[in-house]
Amino acid sequence: MTTYLVVPLLVVVVILQAAVVPHLTVWGVFADLPVLFVVSWGLLRGPKEGTLWGFIAGIVVDLISGAPFGAATLSLMVVGFLSGLGKNSIFAGHFVFPVVTMFLSTILYNVCFLLIVWVSGQPVAWLDSSVSIVLPSAVLNAILAPIVFLPMRWVCMRFGQEEMEW
Amino acid sequence: MSRERFQGLLPFGLILLALAGFVLHRAGVWAPVEGVLARVTTPLLQGTSQVMGRFGELTRTARDLRDLRQRNRDLESENARLLLENVRYRELEGEAALLRDLLSFSHANPSFDVQGAHVVGRVIGRDPSNLQRYITLDVGREEGIARNTPVVTDRGLVGRISDVGDGWSRVLLIIDQSSLVNALTQSTRASGLIQGQADGSLTLHNVLQNDTLSVGDTVFTSGLGGNFPRQILIGQITEVERKDYDLYQVAAVQATVDFDHLEVVLVITDFAAIQDADQSDENQ
Repeated sequence: MTTYLVVPLLVVVVILQAAVVPHLTVWGVFADLPVLFVVSWGLLRGPKEGTLWGFIAGIVVDLISGAPFGAATLSLMVVGFLSGLGKNSIFAGHFVFPVVTMFLSTILYNVCFLLIVWVSGQPVAWLDSSVSIVLPSAVLNAILAPIVFLPMRWVCMRFGQEEMEW
Repeated sequence: MSRERFQGLLPFGLILLALAGFVLHRAGVWAPVEGVLARVTTPLLQGTSQVMGRFGELTRTARDLRDLRQRNRDLESENARLLLENVRYRELEGEAALLRDLLSFSHANPSFDVQGAHVVGRVIGRDPSNLQRYITLDVGREEGIARNTPVVTDRGLVGRISDVGDGWSRVLLIIDQSSLVNALTQSTRASGLIQGQADGSLTLHNVLQNDTLSVGDTVFTSGLGGNFPRQILIGQITEVERKDYDLYQVAAVQATVDFDHLEVVLVITDFAAIQDADQSDENQ
């Protein structure tokens, strides 16, 4: 899949994230589509493409978000890269693997995000944020992981065999 | 009698037979014969009538079905049109109610130069992150909106403009963790700082131990700091936490604004900031 297709896809994902997803809250949080897509693609295509997807999605999120610019980009690149390392894991074929990876990646993404917000000088309630946002968000994303991962695996097998053009 | 001769006389014979029947009927002698004939013909007539009736019904049903289908199509399209119209009217009704409330707020606060007609100040997006609480509005620099401009609804304080561009602006909600608002309680005049929490609730911090906080008391903006006008409703105290060894008291505050269902907001583009007023007083 070329970057010409990835950019509009991720723009649509982020716009949905800003306009629709916040209205669908569960346990006080909503799904994080950019994380779901970046981590899924990283698991399927490796760290290089995971990082690129994280970069593109992160830039779009940062353009829309009120958070310090770069918070989402850096955080998504980190989780895109690390989830990409899981591509060659011995557990990669197991159906639980994307679920567990999504849970851990969401926690890591939120921690990185909060860290950047904190470094930029904004107050962060670490404990409250972890209990009321980070953990519920990670559980929700883990539940939703198969819904995103399986169609993306099909897309990857059908269309995504060639290397992405950087 | 030859065949041709019989066929030639048959019509006359039938006429005679008919006349004989007429005469016999008139004479009342024909009744038993009529009864026998009627007993045979009546069931036939009934059967035929029923069959014809059913056939007629069938053709009528087919015709009616065609008409009904056409009518159903007409009614369905009419129904769809009315449904759309109804939805539009309901939407307009809700919007009118919202704008009416906003108008009453602007009437109640005539000192504010309010920017927020029915097409502006509409919420078009929320922050994509769970960790940040911002909304995006469809009004921007052209409408006189600048950074730190306060944003309200008829129910109270929403937040302040954090970023602004051409045709858009971003509002930092007061429920965000990085938001701080100088506040004052209505009945006891205790002052403190309203801060957003991770779960989207509000807390009143930095209230001196000597001040009195009571559950149910309403909290307003104090106007200190210059970012918000005075006396804009923020919420109501739901819980007070006072520890003797602490320097300050803390209270949980329930916001009056429903942040999950924000649709239209007012942006206050001009208000007498206390800092500016103090400076101008000093200058004078």
